[in-house]
Amino acid sequence: MLACVVRRILATIPVVLLVALFVFSLLYLAPGDPAAIIAGDQATPADVERIRASLGLDRPFVVRFFDWFWHVLSGDLGVSIFTNLPVTHMIAQRIEPTVSLMCLTLILSLSCAIPMGVIAAWKHGTWIDRLVMMTAVFGYSTPVFVVGYLLAYVFALYLDWLPVQGFTSITAGLAPFLRNLILPATALGLVYMALIARITRATMLDVLSQDYVRTAKAKGVGQRGILFVHALKNAAVPIVTIVGIGFAALIGGAVVTESVFAIPGLGRLTVDAILRRDYPVIQGVVLMFSFVYVLVNLGVDLLYTVFDPRIRY
Amino acid sequence: MSATTAPPGYTAAPVLPDILPTPKERGRVMGFVNRHPTIVIGGVLVLTMVLIAIFAPLLWTQDPTALAPAKRTRPPSDLYWFGTDMLGRDVYSRVLYGSRVSLTVGFSVAFCAGLIGTTIGLISGFTRGIDAIMMRAMDGLMSIPQILLAIALMALTRASVQNVIIAISITESPRVCRLVRGVVLSLREQPYVEAAIASGTRVPVIIWKHILPNTLAPLMVQATFICASAMITEATLSFIGAGTPPIIPSWGNIMAEGRALWQVKPYIVFFPAIFLSITVLAVNLLGDGLRDALDPRLAKRL
Repeated sequence: MLACVVRRILATIPVVLLVALFVFSLLYLAPGDPAAIIAGDQATPADVERIRASLGLDRPFVVRFFDWFWHVLSGDLGVSIFTNLPVTHMIAQRIEPTVSLMCLTLILSLSCAIPMGVIAAWKHGTWIDRLVMMTAVFGYSTPVFVVGYLLAYVFALYLDWLPVQGFTSITAGLAPFLRNLILPATALGLVYMALIARITRATMLDVLSQDYVRTAKAKGVGQRGILFVHALKNAAVPIVTIVGIGFAALIGGAVVTESVFAIPGLGRLTVDAILRRDYPVIQGVVLMFSFVYVLVNLGVDLLYTVFDPRIRY
Repeated sequence: MSATTAPPGYTAAPVLPDILPTPKERGRVMGFVNRHPTIVIGGVLVLTMVLIAIFAPLLWTQDPTALAPAKRTRPPSDLYWFGTDMLGRDVYSRVLYGSRVSLTVGFSVAFCAGLIGTTIGLISGFTRGIDAIMMRAMDGLMSIPQILLAIALMALTRASVQNVIIAISITESPRVCRLVRGVVLSLREQPYVEAAIASGTRVPVIIWKHILPNTLAPLMVQATFICASAMITEATLSFIGAGTPPIIPSWGNIMAEGRALWQVKPYIVFFPAIFLSITVLAVNLLGDGLRDALDPRLAKRL
């Protein structure tokens, strides 16, 4: 068991290296010569060369990549062109709203989507099933920001129940925190819910036609017991997989949702960095999110062995 | 038809040509509609959008880029059907024009990503040496969340529709590649392919004649979903300012510009949002329907 886990963790190392390579190439290819920018307008070509050598920019690509990667591993993502602050520092400042938003979205979507999928599969072919499926199609056809504006318009502007935008830290109390975050989390979660509900329904349909479900029924297990104990556990692997894959949509959606609801998180940081062409920041955020995504999927793979002990790596 | 003489002062109605479908034809059409309602609904909606995009210059009432500062932020009216934005431009005309950008990006990305993904998928499915390297590269690409990768790629280049298409195609092609490779790997073990190999057919011929036709059905379904996803990505990129340049009205751009005012003038954001959602929904419905029609085995499950 332990050997499997270790092997699986080792297998992510090449992926992490590849992601780092892609992200590094991005900055490498970015227009503009950092040495020329630092040297300023008055510099002679010799000055630029000197600065380039002192920054180590004249070294070959591979050497620079591993040098950069080593810095990344020690938590140094470079310095923002615009604010001159370390990128790690800027990310740390902005991370709380984003993490809060994503956690709430995750909780919300899982607790809605899985029961929806289970019920749709149980009531297969009825209007409930069709309603859930239609909602799911709408869910992944409507862009996050459209849902965001719609929700904000109805619940914040029209009904005036919730604040239109902004963010309150959880340290200020749970109620204001949730009041600010519930609309963005719902908007962001809709796509995710749609994905999860669909896959839950599909796998549950598969599982419910298995022999052991019939056996459970025959020995008198109640409907709820069959659905949530016998069937759902066996349907867990595909569901967890889509939760992992869908995490990319969650990350991408968070960037947009934060813009709609004026949440000062990593998404805002990214959007501002794009507008300013602040390449080190863009690079840092993309790298960090990609690592998180890889880690989430590593976690998902490890969860497989919990849900289905037959799976071995 | 017996020739009845018309009363004086009236002329006989001309004999109408038989343009209505015969009952048999009608039955066939209704049968198709009944069996695949999603294809029909999605298809009709997509077709409408395509027609709107093609005939946009005839349909729009104002020049979509003409500024009229004196008439800014007018609510919807007879003259400005969807109102005007903060620079006095007609939102209705801009939204119509925006359909061109979205559909161009959607279809182009579906085509480009399909082409790139299929080529790489076919090659790596057939050559083991390249396969390992290509698949690791695809794993790496797919490990970067799609929108972030598109953002990063757009940050490298100038904002233009062409660059948006290239950036989104790069982010979408790994999925196609994996799909095609999967089909190739399973087909390669099929007796008829083995027979072709054994009888000395050259690999390009095998790929072209035996493998490619079998990938077309899943590929078409995948291309439809990529088209929908690309339209959302384009709108998202434009919305956060990393997509289509501001001078070209696209649905994402219009919403981005309406963002500052949306609490007082929500229509600037909502009209493009409605068009975008309906178009994406239509393409997704079409994709769902195609998948059900082309793969009945999967249709029962999903």
